[in-house]
Order: sequence, then C-alpha cells, then structure tokens
Amino acid sequence: MSANTTNLSAAPRLNARLPMQLVGGWEVGILLFMAVLYAIGIYINPDFFGSTDALSAVLRDTARFGVMAVGMSFVIVNKELDLSVGSTLGLVATAFSIFYDPHHFDWSVGWSAFAAVITGLVVGLINGVLVTRLNVPAFIATLTMLFIGRGLVLGFTGGKTIAFDSKAAADHWFFGLAETNSLGFNSQILIFLGVAVFGMLLLGKTRTGYQTYAVGGNAQASQYAGIGTRFVRNRSYLFAALTATIAGLMNVAQDKGMTSQVGQGSELIVIAAVIVGGASIAGGRGRVLGACLGAALVVLIDKVLREGIPMVHTIDVDGIEMEVRTMAQLPGGAVQAFLGIILLSAVLIEPWAIRGGGAARVWARLRGGEAPPPPDRGEAAIVGAQTRGSAVDARSMATTGLKAFLGRRDAAAIILTVVLWAAGMALRPDFWGSLDNTFSLLLAFTEIGFVATGLTFVIANGDIDLSVGSVLAFSGATAAFLMKELDYSPQLAVAIAMLCGTACGAVSGLLAVRYRLPAFVSTLGMYYIARGFGSWLVAGRQLSEFSSDFNLIGRNVYDVLEGMGAAPGPGLFMLVAKAVSAQTLLMMLFALIAGIVLAKTPIGQMIYAVGGNERAARYSGINTNAVRFWSLVFSAFCASTAGIIYVAYLRSFNPSAGLGRELDGISSVIIGGGSVFGGYGTVLGALAGAAAITLIRALLSLQVIFPDGTSFVMPQHWMNVLIGLILIGAVVGDIWIRQERIFARLFKRNSASAGDAE
Amino acid sequence: MSALPIIEMRKIDKHFGAVHALRNIDFHLMPGEILGLVGDNSAGKSTLMKVLTGAYQRDSGDVLVDGKITHFRSPQDSRDLGMEMIYQDFALCGNMDVGQNIFLGRWPRHFGLFVNRPKMYAEANAVLKRLKVDVNSVFQKVESLSGGRQQSVAIARAISFNPRVVIFDEPTANLSVMATERLLETMTELKRQGVAQVIISHRLTDIFAVGDRVMVLKRGQVVGDRYVRHTTEREVLELIVSGTAETALTAEQAAPKAA
Repeated sequence: MSANTTNLSAAPRLNARLPMQLVGGWEVGILLFMAVLYAIGIYINPDFFGSTDALSAVLRDTARFGVMAVGMSFVIVNKELDLSVGSTLGLVATAFSIFYDPHHFDWSVGWSAFAAVITGLVVGLINGVLVTRLNVPAFIATLTMLFIGRGLVLGFTGGKTIAFDSKAAADHWFFGLAETNSLGFNSQILIFLGVAVFGMLLLGKTRTGYQTYAVGGNAQASQYAGIGTRFVRNRSYLFAALTATIAGLMNVAQDKGMTSQVGQGSELIVIAAVIVGGASIAGGRGRVLGACLGAALVVLIDKVLREGIPMVHTIDVDGIEMEVRTMAQLPGGAVQAFLGIILLSAVLIEPWAIRGGGAARVWARLRGGEAPPPPDRGEAAIVGAQTRGSAVDARSMATTGLKAFLGRRDAAAIILTVVLWAAGMALRPDFWGSLDNTFSLLLAFTEIGFVATGLTFVIANGDIDLSVGSVLAFSGATAAFLMKELDYSPQLAVAIAMLCGTACGAVSGLLAVRYRLPAFVSTLGMYYIARGFGSWLVAGRQLSEFSSDFNLIGRNVYDVLEGMGAAPGPGLFMLVAKAVSAQTLLMMLFALIAGIVLAKTPIGQMIYAVGGNERAARYSGINTNAVRFWSLVFSAFCASTAGIIYVAYLRSFNPSAGLGRELDGISSVIIGGGSVFGGYGTVLGALAGAAAITLIRALLSLQVIFPDGTSFVMPQHWMNVLIGLILIGAVVGDIWIRQERIFARLFKRNSASAGDAE
Repeated sequence: MSALPIIEMRKIDKHFGAVHALRNIDFHLMPGEILGLVGDNSAGKSTLMKVLTGAYQRDSGDVLVDGKITHFRSPQDSRDLGMEMIYQDFALCGNMDVGQNIFLGRWPRHFGLFVNRPKMYAEANAVLKRLKVDVNSVFQKVESLSGGRQQSVAIARAISFNPRVVIFDEPTANLSVMATERLLETMTELKRQGVAQVIISHRLTDIFAVGDRVMVLKRGQVVGDRYVRHTTEREVLELIVSGTAETALTAEQAAPKAA
C-alpha cells in the first residue's frame, strides 16, 4: 500500500490509527489513569469530587501548573533542569503587586505587568547565562536561584501579604482573566489551552523545537551540525521563565494580591508533571501534550491527597453513642512527600521499565517463566581523559612558603575565615570576641560542619546530595516525635532517628547506583520526601521539653562537666569549656576520623578515583557502585547527626529545621576546594568553608553600631539571597579561576599552554 | 599448531539487542606474539577483546586461557590471570597523580589501613624506569600531562601487574608521530620480556612495524588471518574491504601460498 494512495479500503485504517499516532500510547495511559483516579476521588470524597465545582477547580489549578509545564518541557528535553520556576512565579507576582499596589508605586495594570514580564525574563536570562555560559551545573544554578528568588520575595514584601481588591475592581479586563467567564468555566483554562497549543506547535513542528530535541539528544553532534547549542539551551530557560511569568500573572489576577508563599514548591509539581508526561531526564525525549496531561494528573493527585476522606467516628460518651464527622486528612507537608515519590517513580519508569526491560522481567517472573537477562549496555567509546586543569596544583608542587599555600585548593576558605573574623572584630569589638558569641558561632559551625563533612565525600566522588537539609529535619523530627509522643528513651529515640535519616541516604544511593539515576535527581526526590515526612510527623504538635539526659548534647562542656559533678576551676580551661559545646567536640572528633579516612586510606583514594574518572576506577577493579552508595549513606548519616543535635540544642523541633542547609553545605565544600564535577575536596577544606559560611551568616545578622550611636541590622529576609549569591560565586570561581585559570589566561596568553606540548 | 596458545577463543557469538556483533569467531594468541586486530569500524574488534577480558559477557562459545575454559565476569577476573587492557582513552583519573594512577584500585597499605605513600611512589618510579619513559615526577597530576605521557602512565599501570597478555585498544589514535615511535619501542621491549600483545588498530603501518600476525574482522566475522612476514599491507587492505568469511584462510593456510 503506497503512502499517497487514494484507495478507499486504506482510508478507514488510516483514520483508525491516526488518533493513536497523534496522541501516543503514553498520553492515553495518563488519561485512563486520571479517569480511574477521579473515580477514586468520587468514591472516597463524594462531597467534593462529586460536584462540578471540583472539576473546574482541578482544571483551574491545572492551568497554572500546565502553563509552567509547557516551558519546563523545553528545558527538560534539552537535558537540563529548572528548579527556580516556583521562585520565578513568586518574584513575578511580587514585582506586579509592588508596582500595582496603591500603597507602593500605584502603576497601571499594563506597566505593572510589563515590569513583571521583565522580571521573569531577567531570571530566565540569569539561569541561562549561569548554565550555558559559565558552565555551572543546571541543578546548582537553578537551586540557588530558587533560594535567591524566595529570599527576594521575602525581602521585598517583608513577609507580608499584599492585597489590592478595590483597585483591581476597576481593571476588570485583566483580573477577569482569572475568573469564570460567560461560558461557565474559568478563563485561566483558555490561557492554558492557548499556551499549550503554542508550545505543542513550537516544540513539535518548528525548527526551534527540532533544535531543542537535537541539543538534548546529543549536544556535541548538534554543535558540529551548526546549531548554536548555547543559544538553544539559553532559549529554553527563557521559555521556562516566560511561562512561569504567565503563571505568576494568572496567580495575582486570581488572588487580587499575593502572599509571600506564592508558588512555593511548585517546581516539584511542574517537574513531576513533565516527567510523568513521558519526558526523559536524560534529555531528547518529551512532548508538550504529555506534559500538560501530566500536569493535570499531578494536580489531581495533589487534590485527592489534600481533600481527605470524610469519616464518621462513633464515640461513646457516658454510655451514649455519638456520631462525629471528621476528615481524615494529610497534613500539607505529607503531600510533598507523595509528590516526591511520584517524581522519582516517574523518572524510574524510563530507564528501568522501558530500556532496562524491567517490566518484561517482572512479567516473566509472574508467569513463572525464564526471565530475560538485563541487557549489556554498549558504552560510548571515548569519554575522554578528563583534563580539567589542575595546573595550579602542578605549579604549587615546585614552590614553597606563601606561594605553596596560595596554590592549595583550600587557601581561599582559610583566608576568607580569617578575614571575616577580623571584619567582625572590627565592626563590633565589644561583642564579637565575647564568650557568648564564640559559643553561638561554634554551635552554628557545628551544624554546617557536620553536613559539610558528609557532603565532602559525596562531592569528591562526583555526586551531589541535595537532600541533606531535609534529612536533617527528618531525623530531628523523628527523634522529637518518638521522645515526646511515644515516650521513648532518648537513647532509643536517637538510635531510631539516626537509622531513619541514614535510610534516606540508602534509598537515594540505591536509586543512583542500582537504577542509574543522576544523584541530583534521586536526592532531589529525597529532598521533598524527607521534608514531607518530617513535617508530617510534627504537624500540629508541640514537640519540646525533652528529658534532661538528652539535652546534655546541646550544652557547653562546662555544663556537661558540672552535670557530671566535675566542674573545672576558673582559668583558661574554664573559658574554653564554656565556649565549646559538647557537640562541637563531637563534630571535631567525627571530622578528624572522616578526614583521615578521606586523605590517608584506600577508601579515600577510591572516592577520588571515582570522582576523577568513574570508568577508569571501575576498570581498575574498584567497586564504584559501592563507593557512591556508601558516600551517599555517609552524607545522610552526617545530616541525621546534625538533626539530632539541632533538636538537642533547641530543646524543640521546628519544621523549618535545616531549610537551605544543602546550600550552606555545598558552598562550604566548594569554597574549601571541592569541585562540583568531582575528584577534589578535603574535610579540612570543607570545615574551613563551613567556618567561612558561619561567619558570613553571623556577620550578616550583626548589629553594627555607628560612631554617632545609631545602629543597623540587615533584615533577615535577605540572608538567603546573599548565601545563594555566595554559592554561585564559589562555583563560578571554582570553574573559572581554579579550573579554567581565567586570570592566568588573561594575563599571559602565550605561556599558558606551552608547558607540555609534545 | 605446535605450542599451546596462551589464549584461545572458540565459536564466540555476541548480540547487542538486534545487532549481531560477533559471529562464530575463532581466535588464538601465542606466548610472546604481537597480533594486530584490524577491520573497519563496527567490525567487532573492541567487542571481541571486551568479551575476552570479561567487560562483556559472550552469548555462546568458549574462552580458554592456557587451554582451560574460563568464565570472566569482569575485567578484574581476567586481570587475575595476567591479562591487561589499555583503553583508547587510557582510563586514568586526571585528578590524581602519576603514582596514584599506576596503583589505581590497589594502593599499597600501611597497617592494612592507610595508604603507604613512600612505597607507592618508589614502586611507581621503578615501573616507569623499567618502561624507559620520561614522566617528570610521579607526583604530577595526570591531567597536566600530554596525551603520549598519559598513555605511558596507562602502560606503566598495566605492566606493573606483570601481565602475560596486554591488549592495546587503538593505541596510536591520539598520539603524535614521536609518541607513536616511542610506543612501538615499548611494545618491542615488552615482546622481549615475553609478553603477548594484541593491538587493535586502524593503522596498518604500526602493525607491520612490530606485529607478528594480523587478523582481519568484518561485520563480526573473521575474514582472514596472515603472518606479517607472508603478507603485504595491500593484501590486508583488500581483505578489510572485500574479504568474506567463506573465503577466509588461517595464517597457516595462507603461508605456503605467499611463500
């Protein structure tokens, strides 16, 4: 049968096949799954899901996430990731609200929206430049943008809600876009459809889309074929930011105002939507239609989880049976954990079930037949001898004294620590050197130091652990929950909490090693899952006032000795004992052992070998999977310890524990000489980096007293912005100064590469 | 055949999904022999050697070392029997120094716990001397070395195991003319020490300079086997381009004809 046939008998067959070709089996599967899920929703909560309101509410909320998923599709097809879309949405909403609000600038809708669009595009451009021009790994760049964006939102709004209902009434043409129209459904759905159709055509039918697929499939081949790969990748970030901008404007239009939390966590829903929609995290695969359906599915799951199940309890009050209607509901944090699990499962489907033949093997085992063996993976022939310049090290070999010190990779961290401490001394000589301040500095240092010690191992072997802050919170929450709610003894509670936290590392390690997910993906999933479970445990409970045995960990050495009846007499030792807390000693001991293992034993050498060239390490007989797995487990172990200490010191648990600690930890390791590409990093350097980060945080919250008696404290909202900037600065500095030797190349171009030519 | 081959492979078959990468291949290597393995791209040269070292698992057929059937599950298993492969990209860790790379994965220990650095660097120096290569210092990071010197480190690494068989995967592909010359000298030196070698290469000149025998693969099949002294580059090229499995001759069969 020829392709251009007019044969009548061929026509029906073509028609029958067309919808499948157009939609694809995957998309049909999502639709079926959604139908089943909706039926479940109706079954467990008929009051809500049985109404038409529910359907329009689901569709309305899908609209915003769907719009963002369209942009994110481009980024993920490009083999990149954008974690900052939620913050972009928040920033756009903030920009619009501040310019529009009569109490601030009181601009017209048009100009406010224009300013908002500019804001969004600037964020996209910054992401793009960081990733494509400065070679910062996408997850680091956009994760930092996430925190910076959040910090800016808090900084500009002061954490307050902005509302402008009365002014909005006059601008119905804009705010009406987010309301139910005369056809009976919300206009946001129309916007979503418009964006989705545009995105489908752009990605599926135009050169722009084909370029995107090509770059995601094989960036080098695309480069050779004359495609400007940097431009294409940059453009995708702009698309993602632009769609987040549209979603942000939809959000302010709907709320006629904003809260400082707007868009928080939406990157999780959006990324999950695109992956569920059939895109591959390995790039080159994914469709806009799938992403849109994925968004609908994820929002529906979110709704089903959040709405809860109405229940009727029968309780016995003084012999009279009473029926009480309640809602069995998941706390907000738990929903995030489920979404994280969905994200990881969706990511796993592609490599495990489809390419690895996993589904076929399970099916064969179910039928009791012979399971087909897992296929050998043909490997790319040339990975390339990794030659990221360490000419700094080579040069420093021959030098001595100050020059040798400056050539060390951890020199920057040590110098920074000294300079920052001196700066603090100069700003507040009356306070900075005091016992109290030293004690609290060391306490803060301990938490970051623990996290950084674990991260050093992970970063040195070329992985990353984004989940440390969440694991910290999870283990802390577990310990607090067990002691307070279940009356466990402190020892048992601590042991179980450590086990739970470390298990998180084992799970992300298993996913990274066994199922070959990139570590940033598996730990990103864990980032949401661990935090979700943590806040589930503490939701609605006051967890504080633990037994005094437990609290000894959080005290200074003097108190501990006093508690044991061995208080030292006055003198230098007493001063030191009052400044140093028990956990700081614990951390130092811990770090000492970790440092020796990393620097002096074959275990450490294996870690560096895996980080330097995983394939070479594997060929030389190193069990690279075990090295990577145990590093991730160790990192989670360190984070769990930090979580226990957090609870012990504060004598209570706050769900925001460890929020953003991954940023501090990664910054510490990078400042201390680690490389985000692996192969470098020492515990000593990481501790110096942790000290620098601690001092920066302390300095930023320092009350500076001017000679005229006035004082100034920087608002805390700005802290995350600055810490984020420091991380980006450290990574960019590592790539361009330590590795690419940008200064050496600028100053002496002729002698830069002459040394070794053969 | 008079002596016992150090390696023999019989009727090797290997599929990658739908691709039939190796069909019914017979292969042998004598002690102290240098064998050139040639063929077009995707002829199956690297795959055959990876099946030999255990990096890939064969679908069927036998691998015999010293006449005994073996089942290598990883390159580590074949290394234990004295087989070393030097990969095209050298498989070194750029962030580590020369000494650490030579002892990659088997760093000598102090007290069974710590890396014995003095011993490691001393032995690394000794191996480099034995190979007669000039690497400035065993403390130099490998990524700051040129391609030729990186390969010297890879070879030093391989011979520090005292191997009986060394397999070179495209050894001269990334090398300058000078470095190639030096590599060929090293191969002759290894042959003098009784090490059998397989060279996977596109460059017939190199194989004709040092090789004893050349084996031609085409689309996963053997299409010819010749002693270097009985053949010409032209004949081998013809085999690469137009040889078929049906007309293939072994080196012995071909020898009298050419002689």
